[in-house]
Amino acid sequence: MPSRRFSRPRAAVVVTAAVALLLAACSPGGGTASEPSSEPVAGGTLTYASGDAEPSCLDPHVGGNYPQALIATQYLESLVSLDDDGEVIPWLATEWTESDDGMAWEFSLRDDVTFTDGTPFDAAAVAANIAHVQDPATASSTGYLALAKITDVVAVDDHTVRLELSAPDSALLESLSQVWVAMESPKALERSQEDNCAAPVGTGPFVVDEWERQDSVTLVRNDDYNSPPADAEGTGLPYLDSIVWRFIPDSASRYAALQSGEAQVIDNAQPDTIKSAESDDAIEELDAPRPGASNRIELNSGKAPFDDERVREAFIRSVNVDDGIQSLFFGTAERSYSPLSSVEPLGLSLPDLFTVDTDAAANLLDEAGWAERDADGYRVKDGKRLTLDFPVSTNQSIPAEQSLFEQIQADAKTAGFEVNLHPLDLSSWYGALAENDYDLVSAPYTKVGPDVLRILYHSDSITPAPSGYFANLAQVDDAALDDLLTRASATSNADDRESMYEQAQRIVLDGYYILPLYDQQNHFLYSSAVQGLRAMPTVSTPTFAGAWLVS
Amino acid sequence: MSGLRAAVDRAAVVRAAVVHGTGFRPTAAEAVAGLVLLLVLVAALWPGLLAPGDPLATSPADAFQAPSPAHLFGTDESGRDIYTRVVHGARDSLLIGVLATGIGIGLATVLGFVAGLGPRWLDFGTTRLVEVLFAFPGLLLALLFIVVTGPGVLSSTIAVGLATAPGYARIIRSQVRRTASAEFIEAARVLGRGRLWIVARHILPNVTAALFVLATLGLGQAIIWVSSLSYLGLGAVPPAAEWGAMLAAGRTYIANFWWMTFFPGLAIVASAAAATVIGRGIQKRNRSAA
Amino acid sequence: MPGYRRWLLLRAGGVVFVLWAAATITFFALRLIPGDPAEAILGGPGSQAGPEALEQVRREYGLDQPLVVQYLTYLGRLVTGDLGQSYSLHKPVATAIGEQFGATLTLALCSLVLAWALACGLAAWSVRGGRVAWAIGSGLELVAAAVPHFWLATVLILFFSLTLGILPPVSVPGPLGIVLPALTMAIPLAGFLGQVMRESLLTAMESPFVTTARARGESEVRIFWRHTLRHAAIPAIGLSGWAFGSLISGAVVVESVFARQGLGRSLLSAVQLRDVTLVTGIVLVVALAYTVMTLVTDLADRAVDPRRRAVVE
Repeated sequence: MPSRRFSRPRAAVVVTAAVALLLAACSPGGGTASEPSSEPVAGGTLTYASGDAEPSCLDPHVGGNYPQALIATQYLESLVSLDDDGEVIPWLATEWTESDDGMAWEFSLRDDVTFTDGTPFDAAAVAANIAHVQDPATASSTGYLALAKITDVVAVDDHTVRLELSAPDSALLESLSQVWVAMESPKALERSQEDNCAAPVGTGPFVVDEWERQDSVTLVRNDDYNSPPADAEGTGLPYLDSIVWRFIPDSASRYAALQSGEAQVIDNAQPDTIKSAESDDAIEELDAPRPGASNRIELNSGKAPFDDERVREAFIRSVNVDDGIQSLFFGTAERSYSPLSSVEPLGLSLPDLFTVDTDAAANLLDEAGWAERDADGYRVKDGKRLTLDFPVSTNQSIPAEQSLFEQIQADAKTAGFEVNLHPLDLSSWYGALAENDYDLVSAPYTKVGPDVLRILYHSDSITPAPSGYFANLAQVDDAALDDLLTRASATSNADDRESMYEQAQRIVLDGYYILPLYDQQNHFLYSSAVQGLRAMPTVSTPTFAGAWLVS
Repeated sequence: MSGLRAAVDRAAVVRAAVVHGTGFRPTAAEAVAGLVLLLVLVAALWPGLLAPGDPLATSPADAFQAPSPAHLFGTDESGRDIYTRVVHGARDSLLIGVLATGIGIGLATVLGFVAGLGPRWLDFGTTRLVEVLFAFPGLLLALLFIVVTGPGVLSSTIAVGLATAPGYARIIRSQVRRTASAEFIEAARVLGRGRLWIVARHILPNVTAALFVLATLGLGQAIIWVSSLSYLGLGAVPPAAEWGAMLAAGRTYIANFWWMTFFPGLAIVASAAAATVIGRGIQKRNRSAA
Repeated sequence: MPGYRRWLLLRAGGVVFVLWAAATITFFALRLIPGDPAEAILGGPGSQAGPEALEQVRREYGLDQPLVVQYLTYLGRLVTGDLGQSYSLHKPVATAIGEQFGATLTLALCSLVLAWALACGLAAWSVRGGRVAWAIGSGLELVAAAVPHFWLATVLILFFSLTLGILPPVSVPGPLGIVLPALTMAIPLAGFLGQVMRESLLTAMESPFVTTARARGESEVRIFWRHTLRHAAIPAIGLSGWAFGSLISGAVVVESVFARQGLGRSLLSAVQLRDVTLVTGIVLVVALAYTVMTLVTDLADRAVDPRRRAVVE
């Protein structure tokens, strides 16, 4: 294969470290939680209490879920990062160019970085990592999808690497910024999966020291750390000696641990505790909505009764979620009218589609043939009741969200829908989805960038993976939408991309396939003794690289 | 030590008062317990009499209100009236308690008697069977059952019944054996009484007395078991106003809104306690009558 | 004593049978419920693993074999003491259980001891205090037996950790960390044991042997501890084996609330992830612990109740 020709670096694509630093210095720190009120202090141990499930593997290449991303952010780093405005900035790669035909990308790598086991970071390391993610034996899921278009990795020289693609990928940089495809020591990757899962080796500010299962992971300071992303502030990072990463699944206990000083930072803070923490000077809040999709209820258009758009519209018009969100979330969650998270610059909101109008809903149902009501007040058609099955994952939906679903159930009942809530454990829940045993479902999806729309709403995503999993739970099957999403993911023209994603979101919203609720909630509460904590603008995981403790 | 002697004497007095002194007239505690059970029964059969409202009517604007004349027990996270929900929840909760205990004890009685009275090999086999079930953590048995049948009041009830059966069976077996080896049974045997006669006339009444206490205890236990399943997200299906589910749901808010768990919890404790008091009362009358 | 040896042999055979049956039931129950163990291996339910990955994992773990073959293979390994590889933890089941077993055993034993202490203490106090104390004692037992673990745990945390600030709300290394979890498990159990004991305490107090002992001129202290309490404790001791089993169930909830290490938490997540080997391994360990516990209570029962010794042979 002849080597590809690369165009001269274009200003829009190539961002040098210097420029990025300048930008970072000028822009207000939107993602920074606490403005440093004092000079950083070195030393100390911070305890982080996570409410997410304990990962079964600390290497986010394996599987690839959010709990892994949370902890791996402390010891692994990616080729690129995002700044607070969502612009791609250098990290382990200093600059990059896309070939004219979009079929290859060339990355220049930093030449002064070593992994914490002493292995140098170079082009061979990048190749080894991508090979690791793509190896079926690794069982990567999230990372595997993110790198799906990469067909070959070529080490041009020691610190230049070329990724060859099967098709142009406008989402490649966003994908590479995610911690699920972060760089690990190739030497460490050669160990058995059990060993690598227990202590992955990266270039990050901390090093995995010990993992006491179902209790904590101890992370210690990387004394040789020299590779913060281009927008990082401060020198001499990291400041903390160590982090004790605990797993406290019970939300009440977790909050009590923060109040009593057993933990300094907690995640998955519940709305009522966020509210009561507001009046507590010793506790601060960091709100970092996750990127990708908003939290929304998908209406299964693949089968009756929601295969009829009128019934979908009637459902959406008859449930009032605003009041419930206001009272259940104590003002900590804002109503969304978009398929995308509010942190996605290309998100499109269409609030007018979601105004409650019970009369219109009743007319729509009459039109659709659901005109009669049975003795219990539910609508019927041909002797069949208007019943909707709603499997709820008790692992994924917090109590406030489950209560919101109960309120939706009550509202829908007035309109004549019988909504059956089925609280299920994770395996059973995925089982119900795989069996197409649902009419309504709420499933989170985190990914950087609007390409998440292609994963969620392209008709290809209705075809289940061998495990039975499929991402297009609304079962949207629209040729025009497919075309837009495919072209948007391949174009390198920013304006085209923006307009295509706008049209795509309009189709999803106009078709009443989804009922957006709010952003994927990602609230952290922390002791006011913690300074310099910020959330990564990539997947909104907190980073402790620049954090310190004041006594 | 005179203190202890006095204590033992006092206890004898207590016992005399409890067992013999009162005859068939209910004590104050029994009267209160009877009233509580009557209320629960009325609530279970005709909830509308005590609380005419709709236990499922949501009103987000009225969420998290403290107890007041308008809402005696306050409101929950969806603005539903907790008093109405507690009253309407009596049916499901009582059903869970009675049915689960019934299943557990029914199964256990069969196993316990077979083991306690059958020939040695049958005892050995049945005891091993009970032990296998027993060696299974009860919650795991319940979890597996619910995963297969799907969550809900009925499947939780059956699951809890199954999970508690081995415990009852063991107690019953040891009671049966203990009674069977008692002197008066020996005497009956010497007198040439038939096996069945001995079982019906002597062993059954003696074991039933113990069963009664177990059953009344089990009633409350079963409701609590199901509430633990609700805590794990696998109990009664929302929006059912079942007490255990309400307790589990309210616990999230316990630091700020105590009434959400207090009143359903009170209902559970009061019913369980009342059942136990009444059960004891009946048992002691049986004993003094015999 | 040949009879004693035979009894021991039968018991040992019984233990093996119980273990085999428990393993078999768990194995089949978990394989027949919805959910694919291959997914547990590939990063949990909902994984988007490709067909190659699934196929490789199925081959590697023998999941492509007929169920009976898988079962026999599993049993064969079990006989050699190999519990297999955990699907979800990427490590041997024996290691995974070894890491967690100590914590649960400590918690269960501490709770059991604490429960007995609470139950006996309350019984002794309420026997001395006359009618009012008796009523208060049985009232407390009723309430204690009727509170669910998850609720009690939160109330204890609110009181001891946040109001008084003397105990940590989540498990920490050292003896301080186990107080609240053990108390949470002990209180309902104490209520239950106390209720059972209270019944027999009454009977025991006026039973012939107490009268006889008194006639022999034995001291009241001796009578209470040697005869009355001893008699009252018999049914409750029989319950201790059961109590131990129920403590494991309680551990599922308590370990989650207090974020303690332990088998209860492992069990819950293993069931949810359909990690067949891990669940079966845990069931085996719990079953073994339970049978040992039953053996101990049987022996204790014999030691406490003179009548039972005659029954043995």
